[in-house]
Amino acid sequence: MPRSLGTAPTGKAGGTPDRGFAFLEHTADIGVRAWGPSIGEAFEQAGVGLATLMGMTATGHEHEHVEPIHVEGADAGGLLVALLNELVYLLETAGGEGLASLRVTRLDPASLDAAVKLAPARAREGLVVKAATYHRLRVFERPDGTAEARVYLDV
Amino acid sequence: MQLERIGEYEWRVPIGTVEGMRVPGIVYGSEELVGGAVEDRAILQVANVATLPGIVGASFAMPDIHWGYGFPIGGVAATDADGGGVISPGGVGFDIACGVRLVRTDLSWDADVRPRIGELVAALGNATPRGTGAGGRLHVTRKDLLRVLTEGVGFPLDRGIGSLRDAELCEDGGVLEGALPDEVSERALTRGAGQLGSLGAGNHFLEVQVVEEILEPGAANAMGLFEGQVCVMIHCGSRGLGHQVCTDHVATMDRLMRPLGIDVPDRQLACAPLEHEASRRYMGAMNAAANFARANRHVLADGVRASFEQVFRRSAHDLGLLLVYDVAHNLAKIEEHEVGGQRRRVCVHRKGATRAFGPGHPSLPEAYRAIGQPVFVPGSMGTASFVMVGTAEGERKAFASTCHGAGRVMSRTRARKRIGGRELARQLEGEGILLAPGSPKLLAEEAPFAYKDVGEVVRSCEGAGLARSVARLRPVGVVKG
Repeated sequence: MPRSLGTAPTGKAGGTPDRGFAFLEHTADIGVRAWGPSIGEAFEQAGVGLATLMGMTATGHEHEHVEPIHVEGADAGGLLVALLNELVYLLETAGGEGLASLRVTRLDPASLDAAVKLAPARAREGLVVKAATYHRLRVFERPDGTAEARVYLDV
Repeated sequence: MQLERIGEYEWRVPIGTVEGMRVPGIVYGSEELVGGAVEDRAILQVANVATLPGIVGASFAMPDIHWGYGFPIGGVAATDADGGGVISPGGVGFDIACGVRLVRTDLSWDADVRPRIGELVAALGNATPRGTGAGGRLHVTRKDLLRVLTEGVGFPLDRGIGSLRDAELCEDGGVLEGALPDEVSERALTRGAGQLGSLGAGNHFLEVQVVEEILEPGAANAMGLFEGQVCVMIHCGSRGLGHQVCTDHVATMDRLMRPLGIDVPDRQLACAPLEHEASRRYMGAMNAAANFARANRHVLADGVRASFEQVFRRSAHDLGLLLVYDVAHNLAKIEEHEVGGQRRRVCVHRKGATRAFGPGHPSLPEAYRAIGQPVFVPGSMGTASFVMVGTAEGERKAFASTCHGAGRVMSRTRARKRIGGRELARQLEGEGILLAPGSPKLLAEEAPFAYKDVGEVVRSCEGAGLARSVARLRPVGVVKG
């Protein structure tokens, strides 16, 4: 197992110091570390990271449409896993559509609403992501008040 | 972490390694393989599994153990089915009933296939939907999909695909009883609807292989294997349908843990008592997904048949194209085993581990009852694969389980940094392994050096008495997602 596990992001990352995502190494699978000014915004970045891994991102497009998402969970981590699993489902069944944007519109301790904008995906290579897991799942506030989430995906 | 060596290929993880262990861990493997698993933290996962309520015997790990999520890959755990045992969807994994099928032919590599290998790999590539967003070979209506979930390979057989012999030589006759299609969510059905007869991606593959060496002639003969012969190995699972079943039921059990008062060291070990309604529902959905996985491999094998018939212009019957066996390596099953000198009903979770019944087991097909259950151990792309058989000793030792493959040692990112896909394809072709067109990036992630030495894994299984080697096969053509 890589010694850098859980600490050093690897692979192509996206974003700025304020918000973004990076990939975490795992022997067989892969993790996403995402951060943002709030937990909801960190979750949005995790969603973009997932779509990037799957090679299913999109830019704004005249054919774009919005899918509402509502998930429930036992805590913030459970909500993140549920949100990402919704995205896995949407992207696998969207018939070639990719993620144009993701916005968390409401977040409370046990449920979350989000708006997913889908549009024709750019043709890119990507992994088949089976699911988001609860393994080593972490959602926490950083010392500077921003939020970070870490989640591992089964690929 | 302290491991106690209790045999040349057997190591104990003592109770107390993590808090709450109910049984010790037992890890099979050579010093090198087990050393790697300690560094990989997979041994810690063996200890975590030992905390599951109702676990009996030990938390086992096979020689191809590596770091998973919740359970280690290569983990085997049995829980008491008649008192206090739990079932954990994470102990089966997302790719429910992922497994391996081997098809043999009468064709010889040198005389028949070598001159046509390019044509054959191209035909197999065309006949095998793979990668992200690919459809399946067999389009089914929603009503037919529900039949697949209860009938397994019986459904494609009913459509005239394959022969009855194919069902007989599948684990469980090609269909698991107890499937509850009503417990498979609408979303799982939507994900599975277009994917029957598709390979997926990642480590899944379809390979043309040549039997390089027969290691046990009696068993090889019973399976119709001989040196120089061409076979096809298929490795894949239940696709999006199975992934969604696991997602749905892990989420349910995750929410149940607190109300049920169950505490586990890793949330991905979420579980519920076997007699709980949530477990009954998961078992029914898991069995349905397992039936989908078997039908999926069956339909892919039909593409193999069509490709060989197209290239060699002879019927599959004339080519001697026959199923050797089909076995899952991600599944939980209620089985009878001896625990502490008594026969007991237990729920055996095998996560990246293959069931391996010894000779004489009543659930084996007639053709293999004398030799033990066939087990297929795929190596990494570019290295050998092995055919093995289960042993009586293995039945006693690890709930009749053995390894499932080589096991990764390197992350996908690292593999990709070390070699480019196109360079790897050229390298493999230089070694006489032809690749059907696919994604170069994903190919690099599956580079042979990202995996353990499959020979060492197989030697460890033999050394530990879990299974015996029957034949070694080398790849000559690869179709990957």
